Amino acid sequence: MSIDMSQFYQVFFEEAGENLATMESLLLELDVEAPDLETLNAIFRAAHSIKGGAGTFGFSDMAEVTHVLETLLDRLRKQELAPTVEMIDAFLQAGDVLKLQLQAHQEGDEYEDPHVAEVCEQLERLARSDEGRAEARASSAHAPQAADMGTCWRLALAPGSLGQGERQALQEALGELGPVQDLGEDATGRCLWCLTTTAGRRAIEEILAFVCEPGQVELDTVELPAREPLAGGQWLEADAGGYGLFTDAPGLQGEASDAAASAPEPGRDALGYGFFEGAPGTEGVSQESDDDSLDTTPDQPRDANLQVEIQESDGYGFFCDAPGSEAALDQEHPGYGFFGGSPGMERVAAVARQDRLDDELGFGFFDSAPGSPESRAQAVAAPGSAVSAQSSPTREPRTAPGNAPRRLATTDSSIRVSVEKVDQLINLVGELVITHAMLADSAAGLDPVVHERIMAGLSSLERNSRDLQEAVMSIRMMPISFVFNRFPRVVRDTAASLGKKVALKLIGEDTELDKGLIERLADPLNHLVRNSIDHGIERPEVRRAAGKPETGEIVLRASHRGGSVVVEVIDDGAGLNRDKILAKAAKSGILVPENPSDKDVWQLIFQPGFSTAERITDISGRGVGMDVVRRNIEDMNGRVEVDSRAGCGTHITIRLPLTLAILDGLSVRMGEEIFILPLTVIQESIQPRAEQFKTVVGKGRVVKINDEYLPLVSLHEVFNSGRSEPDPLDSILVIVETNEGRAAVLVDELVAQHQVVIKSLETNYRKVEGVSGATIMGDGRVALILDVDALVRLSRRGV
Amino acid sequence: MNDERRQGSAVASDSAREYLTFTLGEEEYGIDILRVQEIRGYDTVTKIANSPDFIKGVINMRGIIVPIIDLRLKFHLGQVEYNQFTVVIILNINGRILGVVVDGVSDVIALRGDQIRPAPEFGSVLDTAYIDGLATLDERMIIIVDIEKLMTSQEMGLVDQTQSAAA
Repeated sequence: MSIDMSQFYQVFFEEAGENLATMESLLLELDVEAPDLETLNAIFRAAHSIKGGAGTFGFSDMAEVTHVLETLLDRLRKQELAPTVEMIDAFLQAGDVLKLQLQAHQEGDEYEDPHVAEVCEQLERLARSDEGRAEARASSAHAPQAADMGTCWRLALAPGSLGQGERQALQEALGELGPVQDLGEDATGRCLWCLTTTAGRRAIEEILAFVCEPGQVELDTVELPAREPLAGGQWLEADAGGYGLFTDAPGLQGEASDAAASAPEPGRDALGYGFFEGAPGTEGVSQESDDDSLDTTPDQPRDANLQVEIQESDGYGFFCDAPGSEAALDQEHPGYGFFGGSPGMERVAAVARQDRLDDELGFGFFDSAPGSPESRAQAVAAPGSAVSAQSSPTREPRTAPGNAPRRLATTDSSIRVSVEKVDQLINLVGELVITHAMLADSAAGLDPVVHERIMAGLSSLERNSRDLQEAVMSIRMMPISFVFNRFPRVVRDTAASLGKKVALKLIGEDTELDKGLIERLADPLNHLVRNSIDHGIERPEVRRAAGKPETGEIVLRASHRGGSVVVEVIDDGAGLNRDKILAKAAKSGILVPENPSDKDVWQLIFQPGFSTAERITDISGRGVGMDVVRRNIEDMNGRVEVDSRAGCGTHITIRLPLTLAILDGLSVRMGEEIFILPLTVIQESIQPRAEQFKTVVGKGRVVKINDEYLPLVSLHEVFNSGRSEPDPLDSILVIVETNEGRAAVLVDELVAQHQVVIKSLETNYRKVEGVSGATIMGDGRVALILDVDALVRLSRRGV
Repeated sequence: MNDERRQGSAVASDSAREYLTFTLGEEEYGIDILRVQEIRGYDTVTKIANSPDFIKGVINMRGIIVPIIDLRLKFHLGQVEYNQFTVVIILNINGRILGVVVDGVSDVIALRGDQIRPAPEFGSVLDTAYIDGLATLDERMIIIVDIEKLMTSQEMGLVDQTQSAAA
């Protein structure tokens, strides 16, 4: 069966990307002083999944790097080595290399960089740094009971596989490693040996490979029931050692259910080993067998019995996806039950553990489908399997019972959908809302008494379409943690390179906003955080002298406020230096009002090319930055505000709309036309009095509001409506906030407040000055959304 | 649907191509029918400020904002009151959707390449860059317009300058 692997590449890219991100965040979480074994395991699993995937898809360069990475991780995981800061750095670098490689593969070429070899070397060196001692520790970690004796390996030779002579030779060869004990034959006629040695599995395998096929001999460590909780871990080891029956391939998701489907086929298992290769091709099967597993669940006991028969004849039963397999386990004494990726596993596990207490030789290797997010998706499909699938990230039975319920609450099942599809859905729902508004418009003239049913139908249609709109909108919403999560790394690296001590605090990571916004928020935030570390937070000695704790703090906080999302970057550093900024402004020839308020001064930092840094570093100081930040934020219909106090820190607030697709607006009328003013820019609206209107040099019109003269923008004038302007006293003044200060917009009438779906004019037309987009009103007509910043510019040009 | 039709007739149009003809005042024009998406009546448009007069504004066509161009004004053929017979031809030009207002749509005709004769040079009097040629049909002269070239031209201002430069 030849499969075009490339169709699965995308899945791999996405998964590898996720795994890399997980790895990085876990690495940063890891406390070097007191490493959490669970975290180390999780990091290892992430690396292992990438390696498996990369290997399967033939991205050997990635597989090589992950292999080296994994080797070191494995030793950390087994507590043979203690993690050091150096190692974490090496891991992070390796993660970066992998990211670059992944990116290169995504673009279809290979990533070439001598840096790769460097990173690998570093990792290898670290992995070997403790060779001798580690070996001893390894063995003691494996078998504390056996102390210096090493590990006790149990070998089971298939009956008749070896002649007497060969057996003798093998026994001698193994004898070089350590004492070999013949345990005689078991019930199925297999020959059991016990080898006690300090050598690793690989050494034994090598010797075995000389004499027999890998399939003919089963090799395992012998442990007492008391050690059984580690069974899961050992399974992992077996996996790494090449006996991975369930290979950690990305395509594996199909395997479990595939296995379930094939369980009733004795032919497949008759070999004695169920090698359910996680071939990518099985993915297709998983789709069908999602249903299968549902269907076959009631039949499972029967399947399990079938399995038992097979297994009795040869001693090995690999039960996959068999909720009923605990029944099988009861009968299975000499055998090994490998339960792979199986729904209902948790239940089985509980029973199995109980069983194994009185079954010394039986080992249950529990492994839920490794690293496959799809297994979670399956969990939804197969009732009762949820618990086991949820436990898949934990993987180890000893933690599973405690963790499973908690994880159940936090981990959701998910599907991948292209943004395009979601956008199309949003568009369609937008149309539905508009269509409803049209219907409501035409029904408005009807007599509500006569047409009661139409009215009732319309109002329920309205409710439903609003709900639908909200639900669809929420698809695009993502927690801001997607952006925030990169900052621990940014802060760590930046602070380290500047020799500063900075702690990062993230608040409100669950705050949701539009995916499009999240992506565009990353760069500005990155800049602000780096700025805070570079300019804000002082060096430790300076901080100490100022009576502040040596470690500076940067807080990233996100929250919902009204219809907008507020993201704040707060540092407790030196704050902005007013005098320095003013001096710099004077030097660069930026006009500054006399006796400027603090707010005016802080705004200066958003001027292009403005930097007060004494020296240029690779982090900041080039003066291209804050202006770009502001422009980026404004492109998203957002605003940036700065507040700062010398010696206490700086507080930067970014206000963003919830989504790019919908806007809260006020519709205003000018002549026949309706325009939308974004609600975020409106401060107030007033009915003007004649004495408020003033002119400057007979031309420039200003309005005096609360002792402030604001430029007047007349929509009629700016848009050359061709009609004479109505009496300003009959009009309404809307005070808006623009990036050049406040302005007053003169409109004929305020109509209503709407939530409007933003449509681009540029799709079929081009950018229109003074207009940021268009929307469709309830009556089906198009209304233009005003861009107040551009309006003020236009108006000035007109004058 | 539009694409299917486009592909379907691309095969058939080896010898003859189909043109949609419409009238503007006294003149009859033909455009490649494969560019036409639909024909609809004239709706109220939303004016766009500071745009050339031949751009009437934008309409909502099933949720898509579509600019409307009055070809009469563009070709300086005088202004006409819009009535219920005024027709808007919705064009799809490289994925951009726009509408042109014409006096009336007359026919769909098939023309072979040899039936279209090149338009004479008018020198500076008239720019013939957008005119593919002239065809005669039952004593009527049909001006074949390269609508794509016309609509994406800079003087139409329909496309941002940077975009047209890139294209």
